[in-house]
This record gives sequence, structure tokens and C-alpha cells, in this order.
Amino acid sequence: MMQSLISLYKLSYPRSLVYMLQSSEYVVKPYLIWVWRTNDFSKVMNRRTLVYTRAARLLLLALRLGILLQILIGVLFIYLGAKNSLAGGVVFGIALIISYPFVWAYLLILPLILGRYFINGPKSLREIEESKQIFANHPGIKIAVAGSYGKTTMKELLTSVLSEKLVVASTPANKNVSLSHAKFATKLKGNEDVLVIEYGEGEPGDVARFASITAPTHGVITGLAPAHLDKYHSMQEAGEDIFSLADYLKNKNVFVNTDSQSVNPFIKEDFELFNHKEALGWKISGIKVDINGTSFEMKKDSQILKLRSAVVGRHQVGYLAFASAFALRLGLSKEQVVAAISKTKPFEHRLQPYKLADAWVIDDTYNGNLEGIRAGTQLLKDLSAKRKIYITPGLVDQGVENENVHIEIGKLIADASPDSVVLMKNSVTKYIREGLKIGKYSGKLSIEADPLTFYTNLNHFVASGDLVVMQNDWPDNYI
Amino acid sequence: METIIVIFGGRSAEHDVSIVTAISSIIKPLELTKKYRVEAVYVAKSGAWYWDEKLKDINLFSSGNIADFLHKASPASIQFDGGMKLVKASGIAGRKQIRKIDIAFPAMHGTYGEDGSLMGLLDMAGIPYIGCSVSAASIAMDKVICKQLASSNDIPVTPFVHFSKSDIERDPLKVIGKITGALKFPLFVKPAHLGSSIGISKVVNEKELKNALEVATHYDDKVIIEEEVPNLIELTLPIMGNDSPIPALLERPLTSPEDFFDFDTKYLQGGKKGKGSGGKSSSKGAQGYSQIPAELPSELYSRAENLGLKVYKTMGCSGISRVDMLVNQKTGQIYFNEINPLPGGLYAHNWNKSGVSNIELVEKLVLFAKERHSTRQALNTSFSTNYLQQF
Repeated sequence: MMQSLISLYKLSYPRSLVYMLQSSEYVVKPYLIWVWRTNDFSKVMNRRTLVYTRAARLLLLALRLGILLQILIGVLFIYLGAKNSLAGGVVFGIALIISYPFVWAYLLILPLILGRYFINGPKSLREIEESKQIFANHPGIKIAVAGSYGKTTMKELLTSVLSEKLVVASTPANKNVSLSHAKFATKLKGNEDVLVIEYGEGEPGDVARFASITAPTHGVITGLAPAHLDKYHSMQEAGEDIFSLADYLKNKNVFVNTDSQSVNPFIKEDFELFNHKEALGWKISGIKVDINGTSFEMKKDSQILKLRSAVVGRHQVGYLAFASAFALRLGLSKEQVVAAISKTKPFEHRLQPYKLADAWVIDDTYNGNLEGIRAGTQLLKDLSAKRKIYITPGLVDQGVENENVHIEIGKLIADASPDSVVLMKNSVTKYIREGLKIGKYSGKLSIEADPLTFYTNLNHFVASGDLVVMQNDWPDNYI
Repeated sequence: METIIVIFGGRSAEHDVSIVTAISSIIKPLELTKKYRVEAVYVAKSGAWYWDEKLKDINLFSSGNIADFLHKASPASIQFDGGMKLVKASGIAGRKQIRKIDIAFPAMHGTYGEDGSLMGLLDMAGIPYIGCSVSAASIAMDKVICKQLASSNDIPVTPFVHFSKSDIERDPLKVIGKITGALKFPLFVKPAHLGSSIGISKVVNEKELKNALEVATHYDDKVIIEEEVPNLIELTLPIMGNDSPIPALLERPLTSPEDFFDFDTKYLQGGKKGKGSGGKSSSKGAQGYSQIPAELPSELYSRAENLGLKVYKTMGCSGISRVDMLVNQKTGQIYFNEINPLPGGLYAHNWNKSGVSNIELVEKLVLFAKERHSTRQALNTSFSTNYLQQF
């Protein structure tokens, strides 16, 4: 209690507030929730520290000056009150000084709200409106990629493979909301054969809105899993939003990954399906997974494609096969497809293998959903190693499914049977432990209270022959 | 929570190597175990001891700010009270800060640290400590005694002679005559007590020999001169444990036959003096590029490993050591070269390849230290006599 109170008056308090705002991506609601939840403001920078951007420096300066001004006014009131024997003045002065941490935690967001409503908001709306025209008039094939997970992977694979012959442009990194789409549109040259546009759904209505702006001709739905359930409330609601892409396309040119069983209730007759057994009429066999990549064969009538990619994991086969089959449909030769697939590489922080202190680490820290956890734990099972280590903090934004999802994660980990499990201590740890218990996990379990120290010193924990799978990473605004 | 002190630095030519060993390979992994309170004790080149949290930061040393730090800091002292305590003035009203020490981790290479001196101090304090005992460390740090002990236990060594610094200074020509009479060029001239290849020279004629003797006597009061092994493969084997020692992997430094690892090659050039570029199984460890495990015929590998273990036991080592061997690859003859009771960086890169993480390595070493301490504690150290009553 005392420690918490002291933290409000430490010199580091303004920096903590600006850090919290920056980590919340300058969005008011998560920042406020974080402020309300925080007891000790001296311990908010666990994963990262404040990045001194121009905006952060300006906010910090304004905050410090504001606090200083409030304290000076408080002192002035105390002085004048004492000089003129006015108890009220003294009390008000003291109140001013004591209250500054509370006052400025809220005043800090004022410039954001004003800026958003009066400057950024109208500007963004204008950009989005202009992009509508650009997308509508673009002559290329426009492929929208939607789903609860695997969107970035699918987008990157399609881009890599189709680029072997065609001119392809795709939305950068995981920039996948309307404003990002609008910025992407302004950079198009108009000569692209294919546009690949990722849809990052966050709340009901998002996907339909993205579709109305980007006017896709094709849609790929990568899967459905519990994600953003704080906004969607149920998988049904999330599924309806994601499959509104199919509604826009009138169920034509819609491709759905049926490795994700949750999509089944939404499947319609006109959809074309793909999974790790079949993709657009091609049969898949001979799947082999090792730390250096994944290989498999695709057969259709008398045609055979032997494919090898550096992306790792059985769950990637459906995506790779779809990208290959779709590329063939768009006119790429078999040789071009084989060559293109051989050039595909793991994407950063998405089941990306790398060597550390002679151990193999599979970095899947950008994964944030149950299906990804399923894929990661399956990979841990598939690969051989002298010692297997699994590391996760769990998932965020699981809404009402939070407990069930994390019990399921515990069971999946237990089923993969690693020698050692490391959980980052937070609000879901107890559920994962419960799942481990149900799954009768008998290996070593460690709970890490200081994730940053653990991750930055991982090289000291591992040795040759170890296989480490790290899934998901929680920012500081989740506990 | 038990308190471990890591003692590093020291009045030795290997002072700087010790700092890196302590901070990178010992203090950080020990802290990450979360089982111990780790205290850094730095022995400055002056011999003064310092105890401070800031000494855990390598930047303090690499930036050169250590001189300023030492100027402002008060040295620590040791209190023996049936155990061992660290004592220093806290700076707040002259109040003393005292910390009881449960275990010591000596991380000082060379003179006063690795040669048994520090171990003697810790034995007197009666606390467990990591690494070899006084006797094993003293033997290991004297290349002459080491080779004599090995020879008497049927462990092959290369032909060698040795001289004291005073012999060499009194009549260098006579010494050179004795050397050339007993051994054939090329020769290696080494200070008898130093590690990390400091003061070592390879010579091919009398003129070079004279210079090399001068260099070696600059560092040590005893010098050993050895014949070169033709068709050379160098091998090194880190080993840990007490009565049942465990070998890591045989490591082959990738040097060409005409090269050898002097201090610059080992620590400053990242071991790039050799011709080898690394290859598939090479690793850039504490001492540069090397092949781990050494690609040798299995029979030769097995013989070298067994010889390493025999040396470890013969010298009475415990905790951790590294045995260096020389192989004539034409004849397959393996010679024991020297043993190092505190390998630089604990040779963690090799242990990592053997499947032992940095954290597991320090945890095991602490367990070995406790095990040896318990065994020694069980020994009777008193013997009742009526000797005093006669006076």
C-alpha cells in the first residue's frame, strides 16, 4: 500500500504514464484501464522501456511542466494562506500538491482526444474515402485475407509465390485496418496484377467495412479461433464477421481453410476448401517436418508437384498447398511454383527457428490464438530433441472463454509432453496450470515473474540438443 | 537463500580474463538460478578487495570507469569468525555492512587465484568453494611439477627441461647449452605458472631461445622448455566432478601446425590466427574458433578422453578443470600438455555443446563444491594428546 502510494510521487511517475500511453498505442481506453488497474507505478516497465519518440518527448515535457506548475501553485496557496491566516488557502494548496498524480493521469489524454477528434479523425476518414476509389478502379485481382489467425502467413505466402510470375503488392507487415489499407492504396502504381490485402478484424462489423472499402475479387479465410472475444463475445459472432467477406463476394471465389474445424458451421456450397490433405482439387501426401522446413507432394490426375519450404510445421501445409494451387490457377507453371515455394522462409516471430547457444528456438511470439498454440505444441511433438522446453505467458483478449481457452492450452502442452514448461506469471497462469494437471503433465514446471529478464537471458537456460518453443508475448498492459 | 561470493580480478597477468569469466559465465547464470544471493568481490591489481553491486556490470570495466570507481569506493575486508563474512563501510554514518558467506566461487585465473593461494584462504574459513583444492590447484599451476607427476603415473608428456629465473639470469648461455643438448628445435618456452598462453614463445634457433627465456622470466620465476610435437593436433577436454568426473566434448582449436594460441590469438583476435574458418561443427568460444567435438577417429577420441580423465584424477582435481593434450597425428601418440584448474569462461561454450546450459553448469559446480566440503567436514581434524600438559 505504502509502496503504491510512494510510486505516485516518484520522479519516474510522469515517465511511467507516458510509457503506459505509448504501450497502449495512444488509445485512451486501454490506457485508462491500465491506469485504474495499476497499484505500483514504479513497476510498469517490465517488458520494455519508454521509446523517446518526438510525441513521447513532447508529452513527457508537457506533463513535467504541468506537474511543476501545479505544485508551484499549491505552494503559493499554502504561502498566501499561511500569511493571511486563511486555513482554506492552506488546505487547497496541500490538496493541489497531493492531487497532482491523479489529475495528470487524466489530463495527459486530453491532447490525444482533441487531436483525434479534430485533426486525425477527419484526415483519416478522408484518406479512407479516397482509397475506396483507388481500390474500386484498380484492374488487378484483389485478394482479401481474413481469419482469426494465419492471415499474415497466408498473405506473405501468396505474395511470395505469385511474385514468381506476376506483379504483386500486399499490405505491409501486420498493417491490416482501414487506415493502413488506405495508406497502402496511395502507394499502388496501378500496374499490379494482384493485390493481397490483410483484414485485421477487431470488433463486429470490421470485415464487412474493410470489404466495402477494398472491393476484393477473391477472399481467403484462414481459420476461426477464439480471439478478440472481449469485443466479439462469442465465436459465432466472430465467425459471422469474418464470413461477411463471403457475403460481399456473393460466395464466389471464397477459399476456406478447413483445417480449422470452427469454420464448419459457416461453410457454404460455393466455397472452395483447402487443408493439409487437399487444396483446390490437389491431393496432398508425404508430409515431412523438420527444424529446417516442411516438404510434401501434391497430386492431381497425372501431375505431381514435390514441394519443399523453409517454413516449419504441419499446419503450414494447407497454406502452402493453397498458395501453390492458386498460383497454378493464375497461370504460373509447375516449375515456377516449385521454385517459389522453395524460396519461402519462416516469417519473423511466427514459428521462426533460430539457433541460440547451440539449442534450437522456435520463436512464435507473434502468435496470439488457440489454433496457433495447437500448431506450436504439435510442432514440439513432431520434432525430435534431447530436451524439449515450452514457454508461454498464455493468450490475451479471450473474453468469457478465457478460463476454458487456457485450460485447453494446459492440456495441449501436457499432450506435447515437453521436459520443461515455463509460464510467465500473470492472470491466466492458474488456468494453464489446471490444464497441465488435467493433462497429467509430469515434467518440470517453472513460473517466471520477470519475463524480460528471462527472455533476454534465455541463452543461459539452454544448451545443445534443446528444442525451445516460445509462443505469444504479453505487452506490459496485460497482467 | 544462500550467499555466494564470486571472487575475480586479482594480482595476476590474467586479471582481465578473470573479469570476463566472472561476470559473463558465473555471476549472471548464478543470479538466474534465483537460488542464491550473489555478491561480486573484485580484487584490484593493487590487491585491495572491493564488494559492490556495480562490480557485476562489465561496462564498468570495459569503459575504463573502474579506476574512478576504485578511487571513490572503500575496500572490503574479510572477517573470520568460524566462517567467513564480507565487511565494508556503507558510507552512511560509517555504518558497517556485513554479509555472511555460505559458498565461494573463485574466478581468479593465474597467480594467487588459480594456484591454490585463494583456496587456502577459503579452506581456512571453512566454507565450500568451487573448483580444485589447494593441493590440486598448486600442482596444476606448476607445469613442471605437473609433468613430473604425470610422468611418474605413466602419462606421456613431451620431453622437457626447466630452469629457475636466477639460473637463467646468472648464466644464460650455460642454460641455453643445456637446453640444446637435451632437446631438439623447435621448442616452446613457457612461464611455469601462467595460463592463458601469456609469455609463451615458440623458438627455432638459439637467438630466439635467448629472447624467449627473457620474456618468460619477465613473468615467472620458473621456466619450462618443451619439444614441439610434430604433425600436431591440439586437443582440450573440459571435465567436471569430484570422484566420478564427467567429460565435456574433446575440442580441437583450429590452428595450423606452425601456429599456437598466444594471448592475442586466444582473447583479442577471437582465435582467428589459425587457418581454419570454422567448418560445420566449429564454434567461436572463449578461445576463438575450434572444432567441437574434435573430428577424430573414434579410437583416438576415446583414448584422448580417457587420458584426460586419468590426468584429472591423477592431479587430484575436483569441481572443474580443463586438460590440454597434444597429438602426433601420424603416430597417434597423445601427450598430456597441461591442466587448467579454472578454464576461461568455465569453457561454457563446450559444455553448452555437451548439452549443459550455463545455469546447469554453475548449479552443478556448486553441488560439487558442497559435496567435497561435506566429505572434508566428515574427517576428524582434531587429535587428543597430553602434549601441552608436559609444559
